[in-house]
Amino acid sequence: MTVQSRATAAERQQPSQGPTKAQRSDGKRAERRLGIMLAAPAAIIIVLVTAYPVGYAVWLSLQRYDLRFPAEQSFAGLANYGAVLSSSYWWQAFGVTMLITVVSVAIEFVLGLALALAMHRTLVARGLIRTVILIPYGIVTVVAAFSWQFAWTPGTGYLAALLPTGTAPLTDFGASLAIIIGAEVWKTTPFMALLLLAGLALVPEDMLKAAAMDGAGPWQRLTQIILPMMKPAILVALLFRTLDAFRVFDNIYILTNGANGTGSVSMLGYNNLFKAFNLGIGSAISVLIFISVAIIALIFIRLFGASAPGSDNTGKR
Amino acid sequence: MAVPVRPRTAQAPGTAQAPDTARRRGAVGACALLAAAALAGCGSGPVGPPVLNFYGPADGAAQYGAAAQDCTAAAAGRYSVVYRSLPKSADDQRLQLARRLVAGDDEVDIVGIDVTWTPEFAAAGWIERFPEDLAARVREGTLEGPLETATYQDALWAAPLNTNTQLLWYRKDLAPTPPATWDEMIDASEALAEQDLPSYIEVQGAQYEGLTVWFNTLLTSAGGGILDEAGTVLLGDGDAAARALSVMQRVAASPASDPSLSVAKENDGRLAMEAGEAAFQINYPFVYASINTPPPDGGGGGTFLDEQGRPSATDTGRRVVDEFAWAPYPSVVPGRPASPTIGGFNLAVSTTGGEQELAFEAIECLRNRDNQLRNAVEGGVPPTLEELYSDPAFQEEYPAWEAIRAALDNASVRPLTPAYTSISIVLSDRLNPPDQIDPAALVPELVGQVEGAVNSEGLVP
Amino acid sequence: MGTDSRTRIWWALAGVVVCIYALVPVLWIVSLSFKTTDTITDGSFVPRSWTLDNYAQIFSLDLFTSALVNSIGIAIISTVLAVVIGTMAAYAIARLDFPGKKTLVGVSLLIAMFPQISLVSPLFDISRAVGLFDTWPGLILPYITFALPLAIYTLSAFFREIPWELEKAAKMDGATPLQAFREVIVPLAAPGVFTTAILVFIFCWNDFLFAISLTSTSASQTAPVAIANFTGASQFAEPTGSIAAAAVLLTIPIIIFVLLFQRRIVAGLTSGAVKG
Repeated sequence: MTVQSRATAAERQQPSQGPTKAQRSDGKRAERRLGIMLAAPAAIIIVLVTAYPVGYAVWLSLQRYDLRFPAEQSFAGLANYGAVLSSSYWWQAFGVTMLITVVSVAIEFVLGLALALAMHRTLVARGLIRTVILIPYGIVTVVAAFSWQFAWTPGTGYLAALLPTGTAPLTDFGASLAIIIGAEVWKTTPFMALLLLAGLALVPEDMLKAAAMDGAGPWQRLTQIILPMMKPAILVALLFRTLDAFRVFDNIYILTNGANGTGSVSMLGYNNLFKAFNLGIGSAISVLIFISVAIIALIFIRLFGASAPGSDNTGKR
Repeated sequence: MAVPVRPRTAQAPGTAQAPDTARRRGAVGACALLAAAALAGCGSGPVGPPVLNFYGPADGAAQYGAAAQDCTAAAAGRYSVVYRSLPKSADDQRLQLARRLVAGDDEVDIVGIDVTWTPEFAAAGWIERFPEDLAARVREGTLEGPLETATYQDALWAAPLNTNTQLLWYRKDLAPTPPATWDEMIDASEALAEQDLPSYIEVQGAQYEGLTVWFNTLLTSAGGGILDEAGTVLLGDGDAAARALSVMQRVAASPASDPSLSVAKENDGRLAMEAGEAAFQINYPFVYASINTPPPDGGGGGTFLDEQGRPSATDTGRRVVDEFAWAPYPSVVPGRPASPTIGGFNLAVSTTGGEQELAFEAIECLRNRDNQLRNAVEGGVPPTLEELYSDPAFQEEYPAWEAIRAALDNASVRPLTPAYTSISIVLSDRLNPPDQIDPAALVPELVGQVEGAVNSEGLVP
Repeated sequence: MGTDSRTRIWWALAGVVVCIYALVPVLWIVSLSFKTTDTITDGSFVPRSWTLDNYAQIFSLDLFTSALVNSIGIAIISTVLAVVIGTMAAYAIARLDFPGKKTLVGVSLLIAMFPQISLVSPLFDISRAVGLFDTWPGLILPYITFALPLAIYTLSAFFREIPWELEKAAKMDGATPLQAFREVIVPLAAPGVFTTAILVFIFCWNDFLFAISLTSTSASQTAPVAIANFTGASQFAEPTGSIAAAAVLLTIPIIIFVLLFQRRIVAGLTSGAVKG
C-alpha cells in the first residue's frame, strides 16, 4: 500500500532530525505528551461511544430483557444465543446476507475492474466519467433504494413496464433479492472502481509493454501481470466491500422491508429490537453479527494475506 | 446498570436541557403542521390551561381532531386537547408510541392504541390503570367484546373508542343465497369458475396482521384458540387448528382463487370486488362506504356488469353496487356461528405525561356519544357504545348494522398477552403463502413458535 | 489511423454506457418528482405533464422541513467535530511518536469495519436512560465515532504527504512559529482537511440505521427517515410524488459536491482506502 510505504519513509526521517541526545529525549517527552493530548479526544469518544456500548451489548445479550416484561429481567446465561442459533429466522437471514454479500461483491469486482481499466486507459472525458460515477457513491442510499423501488413497482415504474403484466418482482423472493443486489452493485461499484484504479496506477507501464512485445495477449497481461501486481489493492477493496455488504440494511428496509424472507441479519437485529422490544435477543443478534464480521476480516487477513491499511506502520513488505 | 421501569424518573437532571429545547422545537413544528392541516387548538402557548397531547392513528385524523376541539371547548379552560397524528401503518404507530414511551417522553398524554396492544402497553408500564370509579363508568353501556380488549389481568387499562368486525360481502347475482360455511363458499366459487364467471374469494392472505386475523377467526370459529388467559398455548388442542388451516389452504389453492391472494390486504379485496372480479369478500364495513363513494376517494359503484355478471367495459346500466350484499361471516363448523375477530382502537393514558387526571377526564369526553357517532358516520368505524346501534343516524349510515351488531356479539378477541405482536409476526410468517399450508405438519410447528414468542425466547423474523 | 479512431469510438461508447449506468436511476427519481398526481403511475420515464406540486407539498409539511433542518444541522456539527478531533489525532499519528498510537490506529480500523447494528441496541438503551434519545447530540455522538476512522485515515495520509521541511525553512527565514504554521502549513493541509470534511459530511448525510433507531420525533428525525415515513394524503393515496421530490432535494448537495470537488473526493477515497 502507498500509505504504508509513505509512513515508513516519514518515520525513518524523523529520528535523523534530532540534534543531540539530551535534547532529543527532552523533545521526545514533549512529543509524547503532545501526541497523547492530540489523540485523547478521539480515543475518549471511541471508548465512550463504541467500547463501552459493545461491552454493554455483550452484557445485555446475557440477560432476559424484554421491554414489554420489565419485571422479568434476569440473568439468562447463553440462552439468548441458543435461541438465536437454533432459530430458522437467523439462518435464513444469515444465508440471505451471505448470498447478497458474495454475489454483489463478485459482480462489483468484475464491473469495478472493467471500469477501472477503462478509466485507466481512456483519456477521452476522463474527468467527466470520474464525476459521473461519484454520483452513485455519494447519493443517499435511501434515495437510491426508492428510485429502484418505484422503478420496479407495477404501474409506476419504467422497469416494471418492461415485464409481463401481473408480475410484481418485489413480492417474490428471488426477484427481490436480485433487485436488492442490483441496488447494492449500482451504488458501490464506483467505489470499488476507484480503489482498483489507484492500485492500477502502481502497475509499471514498461512491464506491460515488454510483455506485449513478448507476445502476451490482453488477457494474459491482465491475469499474469496486472492482477498479481494489484493484489494488495484488490484485497483491501474486497475486504472493505465485503464487510460493508455484510451489514446491508438501508436498501432492504426500503425495497422489501424484509418481506418474503429477504431480511438481512441487520434487519433481523433491528426487528427484534424495535418490533419485539427484546433487548436480550436483539443484543445477542448484534454480538453474533459482530463475530461474523470479525471472522470474515480474519479470513481475509490470514487466508489471503490482506494487510489493512495502517494496521501495521512498520510495513511487512 | 440502572434500568428504569418508569424511564422518566431516570433522566439525569444535567442532561435534561438539550432534549427539552429540542422537544420544544418539535412541538412548535407540530403546531405548524396542525395549522396546515386546518386543525386549530394550538394557540395556547406556555401560559393557559395544560395541553393534553392525544396521539392517534392517521386514518380518521379529521374526526379525532374535531373531537379534540370539541372536548377542549367542553373543558371550559381547564385543559385543552391537541390531536397529533401517528403514521398510517399500525406497525409504525406502535413503534413510534413505544419508542417515545420507553424514552419517557413527557409530551405524550393520551394514546389511541390498537386493541391488540393494551396488554403490552400495560405490562410494560407505559399506560396507567383506570381508577375504579372511572372504570365503572366506562364499562357502563359499552359492548362486551371491545371491553375485553381493554382489560388485562382483571383491570381496565384503556377505554374502547371504536370497534370493527368483518362480514361476508358478496354478489347476489352470482350467489342468490349467501354461503353459510366456508366449505359452501369454496364449492360455490369453484362452480362459478367452471362457468367462467367471477369466482374469487377475497380475504387477507398477505404476510401481515390481517392474515393472523383470518386465522384467529377460523380457529375460534372451529372452537379452538391461540392462547388461554394464563398464557398456555391452546393451538395443539383438538383439531380446531388443523380445520382452520385446511380451510385457508383450500381457499388459496383452489383453481377458482385469486392468484395474488398471498399478497392481498383489505384494500386489494375491495378493489377486486369493485372491479367485478370477485364473487365473495371477507372485509370490514368500510367496503360498503367505499363502493358508494364517487372516485377518486371511493369505488363509485364499481365497474359495469354484463348479463352473465362479468365485468364489462361498456355502460350496461348495471354496476357491481347493484348486486352488492352482505351476510354473516361464514362458519367453519356447520350450525355454529362464526366468531369474527374484533378490531378497533382503545384510548389510554400514558404514564409519562404529567397530567394523568385531566387525561382520564379528556378520554371520557373523546369517546362520548357524539364523538363516537361522528367517528362512525364520517370515519367509517363502528362505535363501542351499545345504544348507538339503535340510533337512526347510525343505522342510516350502516345498513348492515344488524349484521355488525350480531358479529360483535359473537366476536372473538385476539390473545390478551403482552407478547401478542411477536405471536402475530411469527404466525403470519408461517401461514404465508396460504396455498403452501400443510395442516398436519404446521400445527406442531406453530405451537413451538408461539410458545417461544409468549416467553419472549424466540426471534421474530 | 483507422484502428486508432475505432478505439476512440469504443472508448467514447464505453463512456456513454457508464454515464447511462450512473445517471438513469437519478434521472428517474427527478422525473417522478415532476410528475402530476394522475400521471405518476403511467410508467413513463419522461413526465408527460410537468408540475412543481410535489415540491410545494413537501414544504407545506412541517415534518419534512424540520427533518431537513435536523439533517443539515446534525451533519454539519458532526462533520466539524469529527474533522477537528480527527485532524488532531491524524497529526499525532502522522508526525508524532506516542504510546498507544498503534492501538488507536488499530481500534479505529476496527470501527471502520464495525457493523453499526451491533451498536444500535446498547446505544438505544443507554441514550434513553441518559436522556439523549431523540436529541441532536444522541445522533451526533455516534456519527462522530463512525466518521473518525474515515477522518483519521484520510487526514493522516494527507499529512504524510505534506513537506514539513518547508515549515523549518520558513522559520529559518525569520518567520515566527505561528506565521510558519499559518503561511505554510495551513495552505498545505487545508485541501486534505476540506476533502475529509466532504467525505464525512456525505457519510452523516447518508446514515439511515442510527437515525431510524435513535430518533422518534421531529425533534431530531433526519430527512432519510422522514422520507421513509412519508404517508399519502388520503387513505388510499401513495406518497410517491412527495418521496421523489424529497429524494431529489437530498441529492442536490451531493451533486454539488461531486461537480465542484470531484478530484478531491477521488483523492480522499483512495488515499485512505476507507469508506465510511
